[in-house]
This record gives sequence, structure tokens and C-alpha cells, in this order.
Amino acid sequence: MGVGSVELSLAGIDGGVYRLGELLDERERVLLLFAHSECPTSRLALERLGPLGPALRTGGVRLVCVVQEPLETAARLARQHRVEALVVAERPPYEAARRFDVVSVPTLVLLARDGSVSGSVVGWSVDALNELLPIRVPDEEPRWKPGCEARPAHDAHRPGPTADSFDELEDMFERGWSDGLPVVPPSADRVAAMLANRDPDRSLGAVPPALGEATLARVAACAVLAGCKPAYFPVVLAAVEAMLDPAFNLHGQAVTTSPPGQIVIVNGPVRRALGLNSGMGALGPGCRPNLTIGRAVRLVVQLTGGAVAGGLDRATLGHHGKITFCLAENEEASPWQPLSVERGFPAGASTVTLVAGDAPLSVSDHRSKTPRELAATIGWAAAATWSPFWWPLDATSLFILGGEHVQLFAEAGWSKADVRNAIYEQIRRPARELRHGETTPLVQTADPETLITKWDDPERIAIVVAGGEAGRFSAVCGPSLGMGANTITREVQWTT
Amino acid sequence: MDYVSPIDERVRQPEPLAPRTGGIEGKTVALLDISKNRGAEFLDCLELHLRSHGAKTLRFSKSSFSRPASADLIEEIALRGDLAVEALAD
Repeated sequence: MGVGSVELSLAGIDGGVYRLGELLDERERVLLLFAHSECPTSRLALERLGPLGPALRTGGVRLVCVVQEPLETAARLARQHRVEALVVAERPPYEAARRFDVVSVPTLVLLARDGSVSGSVVGWSVDALNELLPIRVPDEEPRWKPGCEARPAHDAHRPGPTADSFDELEDMFERGWSDGLPVVPPSADRVAAMLANRDPDRSLGAVPPALGEATLARVAACAVLAGCKPAYFPVVLAAVEAMLDPAFNLHGQAVTTSPPGQIVIVNGPVRRALGLNSGMGALGPGCRPNLTIGRAVRLVVQLTGGAVAGGLDRATLGHHGKITFCLAENEEASPWQPLSVERGFPAGASTVTLVAGDAPLSVSDHRSKTPRELAATIGWAAAATWSPFWWPLDATSLFILGGEHVQLFAEAGWSKADVRNAIYEQIRRPARELRHGETTPLVQTADPETLITKWDDPERIAIVVAGGEAGRFSAVCGPSLGMGANTITREVQWTT
Repeated sequence: MDYVSPIDERVRQPEPLAPRTGGIEGKTVALLDISKNRGAEFLDCLELHLRSHGAKTLRFSKSSFSRPASADLIEEIALRGDLAVEALAD
């Protein structure tokens, strides 16, 4: 064992590149100190021996600290421990450490002038070092301390990037079974668990635009990929059924250059049973059922339906809601009938409603004192959705009202219809102010002073309640214009 | 590992192209407006050019640009036209 004939080059923290063989010369021996930053004993060795570099050299031994770290980390260690010696950084595959069979750190290897190993010390031992070296090391506690696993030994336990290695998650990306984020591989076992006793070959219909058949097995595979628990599957199924209703026009939404996606709204007891978040941060991160149900629905569009962004999905920009967009109505904080009842389902039914819509635009209003003022603020926020001069909109805008805003309406005795009408009636502008850029035939032909409403019908204004009780915020999702997309609701077939 | 594919893996055979007409003189060109803004203007201009080159023209339109053309409409275009031009968008 020794330096041998193979040249090993190591980068020094002084900017130089050092070959192990060149460190040896006629005049001095070399003491290699192998160390890394996660090992307290390595740090002890650097701290005790590092400042002794000049003294060692006087004794005919050149200290070389081989630090198993990136160069920057090695330099930091040297600075922290006041090392006055050559410090080199060694990176995988740690050839120098392997050359000297270093399995733990610190290991000190003393090389004779011919490169042969004349002695070594593993771990920290004052007595052993005093015997090996020409000078005495500080006689301080701890006088003996065992070392730690060296880097090569660490890495030997990990699957390396060999040609034979197989990474299941990378395989999913290579197959294209992803929305760009890592997925859960849809193994036969996982898909079977998702399906439970359902017929895997039963079809929910053809998914536009590529018209892939939405068999339950494929929908279940999407639910697995998305990270759903089997308990969520009934909600995913109801959402896919709703989405495939021809009146929803998924075809148009899937291929359009405009950004909107599919918004999933869950009502009824299934929300609580599955742990859907309808409260604080209802549109944000952190809640598995919300995020994975919405993601499963979108994966059905992308994978089974073939609407891959940049492929058949021609969206110029798209938005993050096309990865996942599922919210649960906060029925408990609402003074009104839930969306499900409004849409004709009995109270207590669990439903999924699909709305074609754009990304949410937040609306802050902490000052309005009257419901009319508040309705105006929320409505005017929506005035620029789709396009600031495209009035009126002939598609659904989804208003998601936060708790404190809803409270103000409720305290004034306003119904949901009152809110809807107040938004509709207040958001209007004279045609002459709307004659810019992209505008509608109505604006172009109307008398300049004619007031044009932002929506062509109050019923275009959909309202749900969601969010935490504190903070006067609401949001509006602009429409998926031009799609003729009806809002569709389906009952969730589930059991507690 | 045995996976369940989320994709409909059936391979569809591409539809063969219709026989080429070899020219437009005396042929009937079906002009399909998908009902998107200014598509009709484009077809108006094209129609003049086609007629000046001896073609006959027929105009068709979809009820909505965001939905596929109905099977009936496609069949009618195929029956009555020798060629077809579709005006896509904006």
C-alpha cells in the first residue's frame, strides 16, 4: 500500500492542484490526515494538528489534510481550525482514501520518502501520535477518541448511479406519466387498492382531446400517480364523470391557447370524512386530499386525454391551477345554502362541481362597511379578468368569498342572490371607455354612453365560501371564455 | 415492476389523405369558418382568389370554434366539396 504509480490529483484550497506523488521529495515525509466535517473527531484532529503544520515540517514531516468535502467546505474547516498546512479537497469516488484503505476518519497515514506507508493512526490517540510523529501533540483531553465512518464507507451503502440501477421515479418521468412533478408509481397493487371492488374495465367515456378511454383502471392509475388515498377515489370518479359531460366541453378547454383549467369544488359530508381543507389556506398548500384529488383529475386530462402542455394542450401560458385545483366549500362558515343545494342536490349530499376557470385573483377589502361597498370591491377586482375591455363576459366567473367578507354580507341579511345582483349591477362602464384593444361587438356597436355590464347575466356569477375566519380576503377566478362550458355537478358515490 | 398505464395505449392508424385533385379549376372548394373572430374575413379574401382561378366555392361554419365539427357537417363537406379550407383563428 502506498502512493503507487497511479497519479492522484487533488484540488488545494490555495487554488493549486496537487498530485500525491509530487508531495513526496528527498527531504521530507508526508503525513496525510483524512477528515470530513460531519465527524467531531475529524474536527478535533484538525484543531490539534492543524496549527502544528510548521512545527511538523521543521521535524521533516509535511502535513497534508485530505478533507472529504467540496472545496468551499474544506476551506471553511481549515479556517475554523486554524490549519497551517496544505489542505486538499477530495470528492467522490474518494480515490485517495480508497488507496489507503481509509474506512474511518480521522485517519493519519505517514508516508515514507519512497511513498510507502510507514505508520498510521485511526481515530484520535495522543499516545499513538506521539509514537508516530517527530513532535509531541498537545496533551489535552480527550486524549483518545474514536472516529467516524469515512465518506467512501457511507457511499458504499447507497445505490450508486451505475448503469444497472433503476430509479422508479425517474422511470415515471421517462414514460411521460407525470405533470412535471414526481409521482407515485401506479403499481398493480396500488391501482388494485384504489379500485377496491370496482370493475377496472368500466369506462367513464372518452377523454378529450385524444379520446383515450377513461377506464376505471386508468383513472385509478392517475389517482395513484397523483398521490391519492383509495378513500379519495369516489371524489375523483365523480369529478371525472362531471368533467366528461359534453356540456362541460373539456375538448375546448384542453386544447385552447387561453390559460383556464378545471376547478373542482367539493361539497357535503365527504369533505370532513376525507379531511379536505375548506378553512384557513383553502386554496393553498398543505392538504393532501385537496391537492391530490385536483391533481388526479388533471392527470386524467393530461395522460388519458393526451392534453400534454406544449403538445395538444396549446395554452400560451397556462397556470398552476392546471396542476391541481380542488377546493372544498366552507359550508360551516356560510350563512347560505351550499353550492350543491343551489345546484339541485339535497342537503347532506356529497357532490363535486366542475367549473372551467382561470387562476384565482385575490381581493383584499378590510375597509368596506356596507355589503354594497364590499360587493363593488370584489366585483371590480373581476373587471379585468379575461381582458379589461371585454365586456360583457358570457361565461362563469367563480367568486370564492372568505369568512369575514361573508360575515359582513350575512350580518346585513344579504342572500347569495343579493351579493350576485349587487356585483352584477355595480360593475358597469360606458361603452366609450371600453373601446380599446380586444372588445366585444356589443361595445363596438353600442351608444358611447350606454352602460355595459361586466357579465351578460347575474347567473354567470358563481359564489362559494372558503377560507379561514380571519382576514378580509376573497378571490375570483376568471372565466374560460369561448368554451360554452356549463358548470357540472355530480353526486359522490361513497360510504362512510 | 408491473404498472397500470394511465394512457390509452391503443395505436390508432392515421387516416389516409384524400386523393389530390391536381388543381382547382372547376373544382368545388368548401370553406369552413370555425366561428372565430375574423375567420370569415380571411375566407372572404380567399374565396375571391379561388373564384378568380376558376374554382367554385361553398361556405360552411361550425356552431362553436371550441368544439369539434359535427359528423354531419364533416360528411356534408366531404360530399359536396372537392377540396376544403378551414379558417382557424383570430
